[in-house]
Amino acid sequence: MARKKQTFLILLGISFGTLLFVSISGLQLGMRQYIMEQLLNNTAHVLISGAENDILVEDITDIFYQDRNVLWTVPPGGKRAEVRLENYQAWVERLQNDPDVLDFSPRLNSNVLLSNGEFSQSVGITGIIPERYERVSKIKKFMREGSFNDLKGGGNRIILGSGVAQRLGTRLDRFISVNAGRGLSQPFKVVGIVHFGNRQIDDSLAFAHLTNVQTLNRSPGRVTAITVALTDIDRAPDVANRWEAQSSDKVEDWQEANKMFMEMIRFQDITRYFITGAILIVAAFGVYNVLTIMINQKRREIAILRAIGYGPQRILELILYQGLILGIGGGLAGLLMGFLLCLWIGSIDMGFEIGGSNNLLISYDPSIYVIAFISANLASLVASYLPAREASLMTPMDIIRSE
Amino acid sequence: MMIECREITKEFGFPPQRVLHGLSFKIETGEFVSISGRSGSGKSTLLYIISTLDLPTQGKVFIDGIDISQMGQREVHEFRNRQVGFIFQFHYLLPELTALENVLLPARNLQKDVEKTAEAMRLLEHMGIVDQAHKLPSQMSGGQQQRVAIARALILSPKYIFADEPTGNLDTQNAAVVMHILQKVNQENGTTVCLVTHEPQFAAMAHREIYLIDGHIADRSADQ
Repeated sequence: MARKKQTFLILLGISFGTLLFVSISGLQLGMRQYIMEQLLNNTAHVLISGAENDILVEDITDIFYQDRNVLWTVPPGGKRAEVRLENYQAWVERLQNDPDVLDFSPRLNSNVLLSNGEFSQSVGITGIIPERYERVSKIKKFMREGSFNDLKGGGNRIILGSGVAQRLGTRLDRFISVNAGRGLSQPFKVVGIVHFGNRQIDDSLAFAHLTNVQTLNRSPGRVTAITVALTDIDRAPDVANRWEAQSSDKVEDWQEANKMFMEMIRFQDITRYFITGAILIVAAFGVYNVLTIMINQKRREIAILRAIGYGPQRILELILYQGLILGIGGGLAGLLMGFLLCLWIGSIDMGFEIGGSNNLLISYDPSIYVIAFISANLASLVASYLPAREASLMTPMDIIRSE
Repeated sequence: MMIECREITKEFGFPPQRVLHGLSFKIETGEFVSISGRSGSGKSTLLYIISTLDLPTQGKVFIDGIDISQMGQREVHEFRNRQVGFIFQFHYLLPELTALENVLLPARNLQKDVEKTAEAMRLLEHMGIVDQAHKLPSQMSGGQQQRVAIARALILSPKYIFADEPTGNLDTQNAAVVMHILQKVNQENGTTVCLVTHEPQFAAMAHREIYLIDGHIADRSADQ
């Protein structure tokens, strides 16, 4: 009875470790997927943009006073007034022929003032080619009202962030005025409202057709950035480095662009593995203790097994098998409990919105469950090995003489 | 098949204490030999040495002409598994396994437990405990448990049975049943039986008695 209780407690220990791994990972990866989705919405896998070059004294001196010694009273400084890609067509050719590229979409970012009657709101408008942009982003998934496809026809149509629409007091199919500060305001029809679930973004963003934004800015043909989707997202840093070396434009992969977030995510991962590692170590000590006690209680049985021809290897296997049974049983119970706990946590109304809902975002990625199960079994096997080895080295005579 | 001991000496501890003093004898195939003597005379130690569970300090044991000290670990395990059946004073049954599963333990080591199940049931029937086949040791009497241990020793039809005071923990009636079974196994199967006992009446049931006094082979009448 006492052994059954011990075994039950050990199973509980392993289950608890597995449960914590599953639930903590579910929470962290759910949040991580949300953050990464938001980051990728802004930057795609790779973002190519005009370099914001500083104006250097040497460059100005070279342009105006070649080969002469110049002493500036007030040296020139600051940045170039306009950020633009140096050679958009060259990029198009390069991207079309690069096997790492899945698709790409040019865009023009500009600040504009939107007005609806007495209400006005300053936003960053992104001019896009809808047919291309939908292939490099998940914008369609975030459309709350209207249709992203309605942008395809051009003709002064606009999609607003949900916060922008709210502040302007406008809704679908209404007209608003858009002014880029370079002439008269132009009327745009609201054909969609997008909601990313990130207030900062939803309150300050709008989309329109690239040609419309170029017209607003009086800069036909101008492109400020190219959003690139790669066939393999993990190759983004390598690809960005390669392209940057071949161009004077700024090429930034999504990880580099969001370095702080990526470091935070890495720190979260370390914390997650540290916590669950510590729990599994405690559970493993439990397995070790139970098996050590069990082996001491079973010395007679081990003696008879050795006497009837069970070799050390076979005894080792038998004890490891018991450890593995504890690992499998505890692991499976932990997976189930972890899954149920995640379902429960995911159903709690937090009272604030995150990623389009009021519930915590939970990941049910199969890899979490696979890693948790393997870890539980590995911990049990490692913990079983020492007592198993000790048992396998016992000879029948050692035991019979000590009886 | 024959067991031959040449000048077997066994010492324990430090300073070494000699328990067996240069014993030499042979046990022929199909013989029923008892090893007897007073407590501490070295009879169990001798049994463990001739059954390959222990090694002598000096001297050699030959089984079918093979020096067991020259056998590898694997060979010794295989020999014990296939050719030897052990019966101890304490039955040493595995408490989680039923009587039938305990009987099948040696066969399980050879992955032959399924094909030996019918044989195990026949042995349990032979021992008069077939109705206990699916019971745990804790649900059986001491005599029944010892009979399960004998069935376990016989499951692979061994050539040798080594029994270390198998009746030591049994009442007179159960002890007689166990001795009767051992005699029957020896007579019907031609199995060589080597029995350690301190009971003169059980020792007398053997073909031959090896009597020990302080680690020397002696005549029982000399032990006064």
